[in-house]
Amino acid sequence: MYNNLLMWILAFSFAFYLFALWKRPLMYVGLVLQIVYIFSRGAELGRLPLVGPHDTLVFMTASIAAFAIPFSLSLKDRSEFLSGVSVTAAVFTAFAMTAKQHNAPLPPVLKTFWFESHVVLAFMSYALFAIAAILGGFYLLRSGKADIENQKDAGGETASKWKSSVEGLGYRAVLIGYCLFSLSMIFGGIWAYLAWGTYWLWTPKELWTSILWGFYSFYLHARLRKWWSGKPMAYMGIIGFMVVIFTYLGVSLLMKSSHSF
Amino acid sequence: MNVFRHITNFFFSLRTTLWLLGLMLLLMFAGAFVMPGSKEFQMLHSIPLFDWLKNQNLDITWWLWGLIGILAVMTVNTLFCSVESIVKKSKVTQWLLMISPQIIHIGFLFMLFAHLLSAAGASQSQAVAMEGTVVKLSDNATSMRIKDINISLDYHGYVTDWKVGVEYISEGRLFHEDIIRPNTPSVLRGFNINVKDMRAYPSEAVLLQINREPGALWALIGGVLFMAGIITLILLKIRMEK
Repeated sequence: MYNNLLMWILAFSFAFYLFALWKRPLMYVGLVLQIVYIFSRGAELGRLPLVGPHDTLVFMTASIAAFAIPFSLSLKDRSEFLSGVSVTAAVFTAFAMTAKQHNAPLPPVLKTFWFESHVVLAFMSYALFAIAAILGGFYLLRSGKADIENQKDAGGETASKWKSSVEGLGYRAVLIGYCLFSLSMIFGGIWAYLAWGTYWLWTPKELWTSILWGFYSFYLHARLRKWWSGKPMAYMGIIGFMVVIFTYLGVSLLMKSSHSF
Repeated sequence: MNVFRHITNFFFSLRTTLWLLGLMLLLMFAGAFVMPGSKEFQMLHSIPLFDWLKNQNLDITWWLWGLIGILAVMTVNTLFCSVESIVKKSKVTQWLLMISPQIIHIGFLFMLFAHLLSAAGASQSQAVAMEGTVVKLSDNATSMRIKDINISLDYHGYVTDWKVGVEYISEGRLFHEDIIRPNTPSVLRGFNINVKDMRAYPSEAVLLQINREPGALWALIGGVLFMAGIITLILLKIRMEK
């Protein structure tokens, strides 16, 4: 009964994210509902609801919507960016609703600060990488328009100023995401050492995690060279999030690894 | 002289870093498809990486050899670029802003060193044990005896906690006692002993995992440096914007 009520809350958050395409403030209602859902589920389970695809998808979605708020405040014309965020949040919420819930008590090795921090930081970083991808898409969609409109975009800024501001926001999202992701990997290593005696395992998940970390290392270094600024960075933000999705869902669902669902 | 200049220019270049990172990504990407298709990789956890590599066919290990080569060149590139950056920017007023990316680099190098040590000397073995079982550790000088096993279950039968008391014996003499709990391994003489799995019925038994990770401490130092560098860098950038 209680679980059904929670699923209704999640279904409403999905609807609000979707309707936010027409009425922007509804995205915030969707976010509030999802936060209520996460806290209620945590209270029901007696632990952080961060195990399995259902709970992690909900947490990632709420993180995307929450992180989008400060980023949108730096944009003069934020409606297209927030539309991208609403669509992304609605899609991931829909996936979460169809994914299996993990309701069993946690094994004792998972009841530790290191594991909880590892997961929380990983999904917060994924959310920031999603923000960078949405900003990348926003940049690609609008930059052509801004060029055509006689060097002026809808917000009244010059096209080049607008471009560097959007690109700078994408860079900030990646830099903070990279920091959280690195911290998550370090915490995961500490936890694995304490739980299983090794900080590293050669499994597809660890390999894809390294690919993801290497990709964003490439992004941050490439940005130091002028040739890569602008569209290449926007494309890299989008490709990076595709790697995130495969590392998170693809590897866990398709390959046998230490993080299989 | 000209060749020397070419070599140093190569190692000082950010373009080299990008090429190396790109090649590293390509090799790992290839490995991500080779690895799940080869059963041989399941053995990789039980022996040091270098020993495993020597005994495997190049058909499945080429990407790992390539990765080791790339990482070796990247180490030199990282050192050159870090030293150059410190020398070039030594007169800047924002000293922390200049040094924090280099701390990140040093942390990264420590982590690489940790992996190198583990690749040369890590080991992993497992043993099923019950109360009274004696397990000989691979240093051939130390034995570990399981003193007692306590497994707590909830009313659904889920394991909620466990406690395994162990005694270490060397030359017939008991010299150390310890307790293994969830996320609290018994660490002695470079060995890290954990409980990987357990059975409560018909008699209590545990599956012990006995690891040696010579790189663990270096990886931790590298991780701490990496994080200190990146957090400092982000905080400074935020302050500069304000």
